[in-house]
Amino acid sequence: MLAPGTSAGTAVSGTGQRIYADMQSRLLQVRTLLKTQDSQSSVGSAFLVTPEGHLITNYHVVSSFALAPQRHRLVYATVDGQQGALELLAFDVLHDLALLKPVDPAPLRGRGAVPFRPEGSEPDRGARIYSLGNPLDVGFAVTEGAYNGLAERHFLPTLFFGGSLSAGMSGGPALDAQGRLVGVNVAARRDGEQVSFLVPAALAQALLARGRNAAPITQPVHAEIERQLLAHQAALVDSFTAQPWRAAGHPRYRIPVPMETFSRCWGSGTPAATRGLVFERSDCTMDSAVFIDERLRTGTIAVRHETYDGSKLGALRFQQRYSESFGNEVVGQRDAHRVAARCTERTVLAGGGLPLRAVVCLQAYKKLPQLFDLSVLTASLDSSSMGVQGRLDAQALSFDNAQRLARHYLEGFGWTPAAVAPKTASR
Amino acid sequence: MDTGSRRPEDRLALIELFDRDGRARRTLDVHAWPVTLGRALDNTWVLDDPHVAPHHATLALDAAGQPVVQAGDSRNGLQIGQRRLQAGEQAALPAAGALLQIGGQRLRLRLAGAPVAPEWPLAEPPVGGLALWVMLAAWVAVQVLHRWVQLDPGADLVQWLPWLLGLPSGLALWCGLWALGSKLFRHGFEFSSHAGIALAWLLAYEVLNLLLPNTAAALGWPWLWQAYHQWGLPLLGMLVVRSHLRQLLPQRGLAINTSLALVLLAGVVVTLAINQRQLGRVFSEAYMSTLPPPALRWGGSTTLPALGEALLPLRDVLLQRAREAAAEDADSGEGAP
Repeated sequence: MLAPGTSAGTAVSGTGQRIYADMQSRLLQVRTLLKTQDSQSSVGSAFLVTPEGHLITNYHVVSSFALAPQRHRLVYATVDGQQGALELLAFDVLHDLALLKPVDPAPLRGRGAVPFRPEGSEPDRGARIYSLGNPLDVGFAVTEGAYNGLAERHFLPTLFFGGSLSAGMSGGPALDAQGRLVGVNVAARRDGEQVSFLVPAALAQALLARGRNAAPITQPVHAEIERQLLAHQAALVDSFTAQPWRAAGHPRYRIPVPMETFSRCWGSGTPAATRGLVFERSDCTMDSAVFIDERLRTGTIAVRHETYDGSKLGALRFQQRYSESFGNEVVGQRDAHRVAARCTERTVLAGGGLPLRAVVCLQAYKKLPQLFDLSVLTASLDSSSMGVQGRLDAQALSFDNAQRLARHYLEGFGWTPAAVAPKTASR
Repeated sequence: MDTGSRRPEDRLALIELFDRDGRARRTLDVHAWPVTLGRALDNTWVLDDPHVAPHHATLALDAAGQPVVQAGDSRNGLQIGQRRLQAGEQAALPAAGALLQIGGQRLRLRLAGAPVAPEWPLAEPPVGGLALWVMLAAWVAVQVLHRWVQLDPGADLVQWLPWLLGLPSGLALWCGLWALGSKLFRHGFEFSSHAGIALAWLLAYEVLNLLLPNTAAALGWPWLWQAYHQWGLPLLGMLVVRSHLRQLLPQRGLAINTSLALVLLAGVVVTLAINQRQLGRVFSEAYMSTLPPPALRWGGSTTLPALGEALLPLRDVLLQRAREAAAEDADSGEGAP
């Protein structure tokens, strides 16, 4: 999400000036206010998508209202200083979009709408696009950047925008040179320069089609969030389990490492000359999570493993370090949304009879009763001088998919073909 | 306090005045009744205490020959065992004798012919001499082994120093503090007795710490591991403190046992309550983290489908807890998904 941060200025061309001039009447700022006082709990940008005054913004701009409409209210402010109340019609929590409508459409009538770029006609990679919004509540602005197509390794389609987005621009439109919608500003990476993300316009168009005649939301939306997350986890777990595991390249153990289709793996390890325990680590995480509120991002799968070689240590020392490493994992602590995890633990035989200690933990959501977070911890128990420990974490799964994913992960462990014959040799 | 030429063993009674440690500081042989006690110089026994009246109490025999005590003209009165006498009141004394509190003075009246309590054995140090040195050597050896396991092969000698200096100093400090307590209460610096107690329990801890987690891991018994992790150390801690205290105050056995048991019980109950509330389970740790070496893997194994089945009861427990937590949030006006 667009957290407050630096905003690297980019020179805006003449096209940018033209687009801003054309679009400024369709550009709005959206504020979520506490009902009891006029202080804002979040602020973002939005734009008109129909002549009747339908607005698109990010779900995360209006999440406080969606989760507790009895305590919040939504208001808009236009570039020319018009203000009014808004109501929430529909939202897409997975892609971080929300559809709003003014309570009184009169002040927004006659301003036209931001046109959608026809589906299937992608801008060329490197084409200039123009992102509009109200960064850091400083004032309405336009920033220019490059269209870079879909961001890689994102399970949910996200456009990579080579420009600067700042907090407050969330929910604003990103337009091509003809002023047609390419995407909706949503997020930026703070560890790089001009690495920002947009929600593809087609998803905003779909939300508009689905929700433009919907009744305004007045009750908390947990049931709808749960429905959308259930659909997300079904698709995610299906495509995750449909992929084969990647080889970890260990001489003895077959270790489940996910394909880098929608996650990214980082490796690290001890220097080879270490006198003590030699280990290598791989950490695979998904880049994008589903934003529910400031304290909860969910809907991802992460897989990690560490291989240990204690041949320089001897059995006693290896056992001490190996157990200690297994013990320093933190699982599912209680927070505002979830109750503390409960675990079950067994010794299981994975592929080829590899004995594994497996700890499977589940965590439940207080208000999303069909969803669970899953953590699986494993440690191989076959050797007194080497081993592999793994961990899988996945959030917001149905119970069936939690069972299925845990099993899929544990089945990924085993012996390598080369190790099957001499597997008892190093005991 | 001898009166005239009568022999000491002809005494009718003996009155002992205790010091703060409960030992007799002064004694009075009683050869004739009555005996008067007070601050005035015409008393049989002059008690030099500002809380004592000039004529505070009189001990005498009644018509039946039984000993009685009468409170004199005293503002504070006096106390016999648990009973309080106001000025002028009189009470019979038990034939076996009685404890009297007069002002700030504690006295004991012993009567001729009353039964005498049996002799107490002298307190022996729990371990001493060679055994103490053997235990010390064993403990040091275990600590060296621990450190050896924790350090990588070829570790710098400097890395041994914190242990070599810290552990013996810690043990000496612990025993020294208890010995100071002994000096205070028992007038003897019983360092070796306390060292024996500490070493015995430290060795017991090492044995349990080796046996229980590894047995639990070997047999696949997480409950044993959890129970030891949760309660083992507090229980051993209580037992070692109990042993030290009983060495310090041997006559207070019941009070020591009761208060330590209550502290332990309170700790266990509070931990249970916190864990139930925050984690919804008995034990603080989520899972057993000790892994058995291959040679000790005696617990058998289960299949992957069986592991999946084991998640079913977890689901039901979690759903119940989530419902309760959501209801609690609703009550307190919290709003989170």
